[in-house]
Amino acid sequence: MGKLRDKLFEDVRFEEGLKACMNCGVCTAICPAAEFYDYDPRRIVSIVQTADDETIIDLLKSETIWYCGQCLSCRTRCPRNNTPAYVIMALRKLSQEMGYFTESEKGRQQLALKRTVGDNVLKYGYCIYPAELTPSKHPEQGPVWEWVHKNSQAVYDRLGANLDKLGEGALRQIDNETLKELDAIFEITGNNDFFETIENYSEKQAEKMGLGFDDSHDCEYMKHITTVNEKKHQR
Amino acid sequence: MSKEKRDIWRKYQKSIGDDNFFFVRSCIRQNFFPASEQAFLHILRNELGKNVVEDARHTTCSGIGYHSDVVNFDTLQTIIARHFALMTEAKLKNVAISCVTSFGLYSEVLETWKEFPSELEKTRENLYKATKREFEIPENIAHCSDIIYKFREEIKNKGKNRLVNAETGEPLKIVDHIGCHYAKIFPEYGEGGAEFPQVLTGMIESWGGQTVDYPERRHCCGFGFRQYLVQANRGYSVSNTYKKLQSMEPYKPDMIIANCPGCTMFIDKWQYTISEMEHKTFGPDKTGIPVLTYEELAGLVLGYDPWDLGLQMHQVSAEPLLDKMGIKYDKDKKFADKSGKIFSIPKQPEYIL
Amino acid sequence: MRAYDTKYQTIIIGGGIAGMTAALQLYKFGIRVLIIEKEDNLGGHLNKWYKLFPGFVNADEVVSNIVSEINDKRIHNITSDEVISIDSIYDNYIVKTSSGHSFEAESVLLAQGFNTFDPTKKEEYGYGLYSNVKTSVEVEKILKEHSNITIPKRIGLIHCVGSRDEKAGNLHCSKLCCVSAVKQSIELKERFPDAEVICFYIDLRMFDNGFEELYMEAQVEHGIKFIRGRLSECSENIDGSLVLKVQDTLTGLPMNVSVDWLVLMVGKEAAKLPNLDKSIDLKLAPNRFVAPENIFYNPNQTSQPGIFCCGTVSGPKTIHESAADAKAAAMSIIDYLNRK
Repeated sequence: MGKLRDKLFEDVRFEEGLKACMNCGVCTAICPAAEFYDYDPRRIVSIVQTADDETIIDLLKSETIWYCGQCLSCRTRCPRNNTPAYVIMALRKLSQEMGYFTESEKGRQQLALKRTVGDNVLKYGYCIYPAELTPSKHPEQGPVWEWVHKNSQAVYDRLGANLDKLGEGALRQIDNETLKELDAIFEITGNNDFFETIENYSEKQAEKMGLGFDDSHDCEYMKHITTVNEKKHQR
Repeated sequence: MSKEKRDIWRKYQKSIGDDNFFFVRSCIRQNFFPASEQAFLHILRNELGKNVVEDARHTTCSGIGYHSDVVNFDTLQTIIARHFALMTEAKLKNVAISCVTSFGLYSEVLETWKEFPSELEKTRENLYKATKREFEIPENIAHCSDIIYKFREEIKNKGKNRLVNAETGEPLKIVDHIGCHYAKIFPEYGEGGAEFPQVLTGMIESWGGQTVDYPERRHCCGFGFRQYLVQANRGYSVSNTYKKLQSMEPYKPDMIIANCPGCTMFIDKWQYTISEMEHKTFGPDKTGIPVLTYEELAGLVLGYDPWDLGLQMHQVSAEPLLDKMGIKYDKDKKFADKSGKIFSIPKQPEYIL
Repeated sequence: MRAYDTKYQTIIIGGGIAGMTAALQLYKFGIRVLIIEKEDNLGGHLNKWYKLFPGFVNADEVVSNIVSEINDKRIHNITSDEVISIDSIYDNYIVKTSSGHSFEAESVLLAQGFNTFDPTKKEEYGYGLYSNVKTSVEVEKILKEHSNITIPKRIGLIHCVGSRDEKAGNLHCSKLCCVSAVKQSIELKERFPDAEVICFYIDLRMFDNGFEELYMEAQVEHGIKFIRGRLSECSENIDGSLVLKVQDTLTGLPMNVSVDWLVLMVGKEAAKLPNLDKSIDLKLAPNRFVAPENIFYNPNQTSQPGIFCCGTVSGPKTIHESAADAKAAAMSIIDYLNRK
C-alpha cells in the first residue's frame, strides 16, 4: 500500500480516525450528508483502509470528500472506534496540499472559504464579522439581519457589545499586538504557506477555465465557485 | 419524561468548574447573540457572585476555519494553547467556553495531547517560537451551558418567571437541541453523555418546563460549516433543519432552545427561509417556533427585559412565547436603540409572522 | 436435598446444562459432587427459553429430562444460593455461599454460564425508554406464555447488540445470536402471520448443522426479510411506533424504517466470578471469559490447578457444545482426582 496512505498516516487525525472498518453502516445510517448527498462514509473508510495511491488520488479529486458536514455523529456510533469525519479531514488537507481540490466543483470552493473565514481570522481575529455578512450574499438570514447589518453600531451598542472598540466586550476590536501574534502563529505552523497554496492552485484553475481572477471576493472565479451547483450531487 | 426514563441518562456526570473562570467568546454568538454572552457574564458575576475574567486579547479559536479545512490542526492547537497561556498568566484554571464548536475543539486538543504527547511538545514549541508564550493545561473546561446548568437551582430560586403557560399552569413543551460538538465527539465530556444529554434538559425541568423527545432529536441542525458558508451548498444546511422541524411539529413545542450558537441561529433563520420557499411554518397561524439561547431562557426566568436579552435580533418573533409565559414587555421598545429611540425597524417577511 | 456433606470431591458452581451434565458424568464414575445454583431452580438460561433449535424442541422438556435424572440419582444440589468466595487450603478449596454454607472441595468446576448484555448500555436503542423495544430473552417469554398483546405489523430484529462493539465493551462475537434471530423471526412470523419480519444483520453466522438451512427456510418458506446493516439509532414516534436509522449496506442506501416492535439480540458476556483468594491465579481471556489452560490440549483446565471450567463460562457455545464440553470436563476432573 502506497506512499499517499503513509503520508495520510502522518496526520494525527487520520491515525485517530482509521482503525479497521467492518462495513456495518452505522455511520452512514446516522450521517446527515448521506441523507442529502450521494455520500457514504462507510464506503470511504472501507476503501481508504486498503487503498493504493491511485485510488486515493481519485478520492482527492472527487466531489465525494467535500460532502461531509463535520458534525461528528459518525464518531459517536462506530463499533470499531473509527471516525470517518477525521479521515475526511485528512483527505481534504492532502487534496489542497497537492492541488487536486481544483478538479472538483465542491473542492474549488476552498478558495472562497480561505478568502472569507480564513482571511477573517488574520484580519479581525474572528472567523465571522458582521460587516462581511452582507444581506445580498445571505438573503436567507432574513430582514431582521438586514436591519442589524445596516444599523450595526446602534444595534450592538443597545445589546452591550463593544463593536470595533478596544477593550473587553463582544465584537471588540482585537488589538494589533494580538493580530501580529496570530499572524506569527500562522507563519510558524505553515498556515500562511497553506493559504498561498490554495490561492496558487486556484489561480491556475481560473486560468484553465478562462475566468477572471484577482484578490477580490467578486472576481469571476469567486462568483463561479460560490454559486455554481451543477446538481449532480444527489443519488 | 418520567423519572424512570430520566435516571438512565444520569450515567455521565462531568466535573464543571465552580468559580474563577477564563471566558472565551464565540464568533457566531458575538455576531448574532451578543446580549446572550453579556447575560452570561451578568448572571455569573452579579447574580451568582462569581469571578469571570475576559482577557481582551483572546481571539477566535479558529474553529470555523478549522472545520472548513482552511486552518490546519497545528495552527488550531497553537491558537488554543495561546489562550491557555493567557489563562496561565491570569492564574486561572477553569475555562468557560461560549461556543460549542470551540468546546468540542478544546476537548479534542486536550485529548490529542494525552494520546499523542508529541503534538503537545510541538504545540509548545510553535507557541513559543511565534509569541514567546508558555502555558499550563487548564484543570477544567466547561461550556457556558454546563455552567448555567450547574447553577440552575440558584437561578430558579432567584427566578421571577417559570417555564409554564401563565394561563393554564401547564409546563411549556420545550425542544432542547444540543450542538453536535458538545458531546458527540467525547460523550464523557457532555453532561449526560451523547445520547440523552442533560445539560439543557436539566435547566428546562428545573425551571418548570417539559422536554420533548422526538425522532430527529439528535439530528444535526445542518450548519455543516462549508455547507452553509458557500452559497452553492446552502441547500444541505436548510434541509437538515427542515427535517428536524418536520419531526418535532406533531409535538407542538412552545419553543426550542439550543446550546450551540450556530444551531440557535440556524433553526431560527431557516424557519424564515422555509416559509419563503415552501410557504410553510411550524407554529400555529403562520408563526414560527421561537428559538432561544439558554441565557435568554435564564434571563426570562430571572425577569430580565426581553429586549435587553436581544430577542429582537431573532427572526422568528418571540412575542407569542412571552405572552404565553405572561411576561410583560414594551412592544414599542423592541427595535429601539440605547437611548430608547427607534431609528428604523426591519421589514416584515412575506409569509411568516 | 437437605442434608449436605461438609466435603466433596467436586463442587460444581452453576446448575445449568453444563453443570448438570458434568455432575451426571462424574456420578457415573462414583465421584461425590455438589451443585450450587444461585437461581431458585436448576436449568439455567434454558428455563427462560421456549423452543430450541435444531428441531424446535421445547426447552422445558430438555431441562426437565436432565433435572429428573439429577433427582433420580440423588445428586446433591443447592438452589437459591450463590457462591461468594473460593479460598485455597493446602491442596483443596473452601467454597462459601451467600446463605452461609461453607464446603471443602478437592476440585471446583466453574459452570456459571454467561450473563446477557444489558441493552440499556446502548442508550441510542431506547431499551427501557420505549416500550416496544424488547430483548430476545423477552421474546422467548412472550412466545412461551402466549400473552395477549397487540399485533405488530412490522417487527425488526437487530443482530449484534452488545457484541462486536467496542463502545459496548465487548469485541467478541456472541456466536448464537444469528441463529437465534433467524429462529425467532420464524416463530414471530408464525405467531403473527400478517407481520413483516426483518432481520438487520452484519454477518450471518450460521456455522452449525442445520443453521444455513434454517436461514434458507426463513427466506423461502416464511418470507423473512434480511437487510445487511447495523442499527444506528432507534427513536419513538408520537404513536409509540419506532423509527430505525440503518443503512442497507448492500445497496448503499441510508434508511429510516418504521417498526412496531424492535427485538434486540442481546449478546453474551462473561459471568461474574466469586471472590478468589490471593493465591488463586485464575486467568481470564481478553473478552473476560475464563481462559482454558491450553485451548487445544487442556480446554477444561483453568490456569489454576484443581479449578476447571465447562460450558459458556469459557465462551459462547451451543447447548450440545456445552454438554459435550461438560462431559470432557468431567473426564479431566476424574483424571486430576486420580493423580492427586
